[in-house]
Amino acid sequence: MSTSTMKMNQPVLDVQNLRKVFIDKDFETPVLKGVTFTLERGEMVALLGPSGSGKSTLLTILGTLMRPTSGSLQMLGEDLTRFSPDALTEFRNRKIGFIFQYHHLLPDFTALENVMFPHAGRVGRETAYARERASMLLDRVGLRDRMHYRATRLSGGQKQRVAVARALMNEPALILADEPTGNLDRENADQVFALMTEIQRETGTTFLISTHDREMAERCGRRIHMRGGVVVSQARESGIPALRVIDKTVARLETAQLRDAGR
Amino acid sequence: MRFELKVALRYLLSNRVQSALLIGGVAIAVTVFTFNAALINGLAEFQIQRVVGSSAHVIIEPAKPTPARLKSADGAERLTATQRSLDRRAQIKQWRTIADSVENLPGVTAMSLNILGTGLVSRGQMTMPITLKGVEPSRLSAIAPVNDSIIAGEPRLGLNDVLIGRKLATDLGLGVGQPVFVQSDQGRERTLTVRGIYTTGVDSLDARLGYVNLETARVLFDLPEGLSEIELKLENIYAARDLARQIANGTGLEVSAWMDKNQRLREALEGQGSSGSIIKMFTLITIVVGVASALLLTTMRRRPEIGIMRSFGLSERFVLSVFMLQGALIGIIGSVIGCLAGFGFSTLVAGITTSSGGRLPVEPALGQYQSALLLAAAASIIAAFWPARSASRIDPVEAISQ
Repeated sequence: MSTSTMKMNQPVLDVQNLRKVFIDKDFETPVLKGVTFTLERGEMVALLGPSGSGKSTLLTILGTLMRPTSGSLQMLGEDLTRFSPDALTEFRNRKIGFIFQYHHLLPDFTALENVMFPHAGRVGRETAYARERASMLLDRVGLRDRMHYRATRLSGGQKQRVAVARALMNEPALILADEPTGNLDRENADQVFALMTEIQRETGTTFLISTHDREMAERCGRRIHMRGGVVVSQARESGIPALRVIDKTVARLETAQLRDAGR
Repeated sequence: MRFELKVALRYLLSNRVQSALLIGGVAIAVTVFTFNAALINGLAEFQIQRVVGSSAHVIIEPAKPTPARLKSADGAERLTATQRSLDRRAQIKQWRTIADSVENLPGVTAMSLNILGTGLVSRGQMTMPITLKGVEPSRLSAIAPVNDSIIAGEPRLGLNDVLIGRKLATDLGLGVGQPVFVQSDQGRERTLTVRGIYTTGVDSLDARLGYVNLETARVLFDLPEGLSEIELKLENIYAARDLARQIANGTGLEVSAWMDKNQRLREALEGQGSSGSIIKMFTLITIVVGVASALLLTTMRRRPEIGIMRSFGLSERFVLSVFMLQGALIGIIGSVIGCLAGFGFSTLVAGITTSSGGRLPVEPALGQYQSALLLAAAASIIAAFWPARSASRIDPVEAISQ
């Protein structure tokens, strides 16, 4: 799994004609019917489509939690369809971050421990590095003063911000977010989204965000629309610099608000 | 601390009631295990001590002459009837050399040189059979504590003295200082004086066995030179077999250890031992069933969390370790508590005096704590394996969407 051979201009994700058919006894349900797209380094992409269009299945396959029935799936130049289960697990740990609709924090652990978990679980210890990075990430998501709170004592928005920090822990190349704000009220949803946008710009991490929220989708650089198991459009942003500037300003304002709210 | 261990501990602490019940369950099982061991082993020790306390640990007897057999020249099997020769009296003739070397063997604490014979004792018209044991007066109590069991008269063996049991004394109406007529199986007769009356608590012994001076026995049983047996007491009774073999090899005599002479005791001990093993086995099964079912529930409840861990790339081995470690922690903590409780309970019970004034034969030191610890911990780990493995194989997609 060496990434040293990876070229800088290589796409983070290259999906070609990806298919997934669920087989239940003799009944076959094709869910993905040949999905093709690429994600470039540093992109923030919204994944749109009605329920049942195959978004979740696609994210699950991209997250290496499920294998496709056919097609090619390359991440950072590696052909993931050839990986053994153990190799996939390790690849997932190092290269992919997940943000779910429900925060899915581990309730018996503090915010800090939750963020460290993906690293500590792999190396077998809570290293000084992990502690430092997790603290930094929690600080970044505005939860410095909640670091040692148990996950159960945090509010919904706070939990989701911890989940964002956790997804970033191992410096992944790709973050997959499955309706990350779907379970939050408007205000919290905006805060979390703004945070993801900021972090994406700061770190250059590629984000693929499945969402029903038009407004949020508009703020992503690109939108992939799915319907009936295929990609129907993948509009790239117009690229007007002014729009980006406005986006950035809005995001900054939101972060400032968020910090005030955190105090 | 290993991170898996931290997670396992956190899980145990997060559900304190369940963990306490589990650990308590293991502790109770281990308490039963150790108390049972203390009782069974204590009882065995009690029985052994009662037997070996009043009998010899190693007995040296004359070799039984086996008839010589000539092999036929043609190698054919021929059936022949052979009989052991009884022409000569069985006796240990070279006893002086043997006694000298045996008494100085390491581990030998006491020795008695005996002549045994049977005869009849009579007073007036009443005649009873008797086994007479001729011993050196100075070694009267070397094997059985005769000195301490005298209830009338004194433990003295002059040339014309005899010590008899209480039952025989009652049957013949004999008292201390009274004469009794003895006729040996060698046809010798003598009138002896009852010097003391003893009781062993075993009627059959008290009715049959009398002690006389070794020199008196020589005359009565017409054995001017040899001995019937040499009895030994050892420091460590469990070394008896080895020592017996050693002496037998060195002398060519018939040498037996106490455990081989006490078939019944051995059977009783074996019976107790196997019933004890069954109880121990059931306590281990209890641990396995209890720990496995509780951990299975835990893994069920934590399915979504396990799914999350797998989704951020933690290995099956990590999940397996977390749940195996929970089993191990439950087993180790539970069995340590159980050992302490077992020791405490055995000590308490051992201190109780029964209505008959005796003590319950519980020996707290014989609770087999090491094997209880090892077995209970092993049982918990084995019990944890199945739930842990099923947890590690949870499909993260399914678990997260729960």
